[in-house]
Amino acid sequence: METLTLAGTLDSLGAIAKYVMEAAQSAGLDKKACYKLRLAVDEIATNIITHGYEEAGLEGKINLSSDLKASSLTICLEDTGSRYDPYEMVTVEAEELNKRLEERRMGGLGVYLAIQGVDQYFYERVGEKNRNIFVVNLKIADS
Amino acid sequence: MAFSATLETTSNGIAKISLFGELDASTAPDFKTKVEEAAAGNPKRLVLMMQELEYMASAGLRVLIFAKQKMGSSVDIYMVGTQELPLDTIKKTGFDQSVYLLDEYDAAKIENV
Repeated sequence: METLTLAGTLDSLGAIAKYVMEAAQSAGLDKKACYKLRLAVDEIATNIITHGYEEAGLEGKINLSSDLKASSLTICLEDTGSRYDPYEMVTVEAEELNKRLEERRMGGLGVYLAIQGVDQYFYERVGEKNRNIFVVNLKIADS
Repeated sequence: MAFSATLETTSNGIAKISLFGELDASTAPDFKTKVEEAAAGNPKRLVLMMQELEYMASAGLRVLIFAKQKMGSSVDIYMVGTQELPLDTIKKTGFDQSVYLLDEYDAAKIENV
């Protein structure tokens, strides 16, 4: 699929979801895998927009690309916001997931869902850009 | 698909919010507004009608944490008819331990306060 460039604002989340769902469908993912991939990309895009751009006082774009191979679908998000490594963020521990809602803190769920939603997830800082890569393995049909 | 939330409050103190469409970080503020409106009426229970909600990101879950912390732990939260994939997220994040999940609106259970 062609790359898509959008403003780094929450209004872009709908278009990001549409792009990811189209890529997922063309890769033949089932409904559940489509949903989980969409959720993963949505969660990280939300963090890029709210932490990498808005809270940092920056403006910029989000660039989406996808690469479909026989064995995998890769979605890549690139942005020029502040350095934002999800793995360095406080991610939720199992203990937190067992707490009742009245004792919970607000953060970390998005990154947890992103990591859970795909087969592989990578973050890298390349020059002034952040790159978030999501990979879903495709089931090869037995012939 | 767009998101919308409507609030209905019954005379016996049940706040019922019906959710439609897709709940992500761009639409969660609308849900939060409805929760604040509901909280202002000091309801005994919060019921979320989930049948028409097709997608829910963590921004939606954070509104549930907000609701519980705003309304107090004595106000039970019910989720009715949650679709399979949003339900996966609720279970994976352990929210199913803090809310009551019902397949259908059950007046006997919900309204017996």
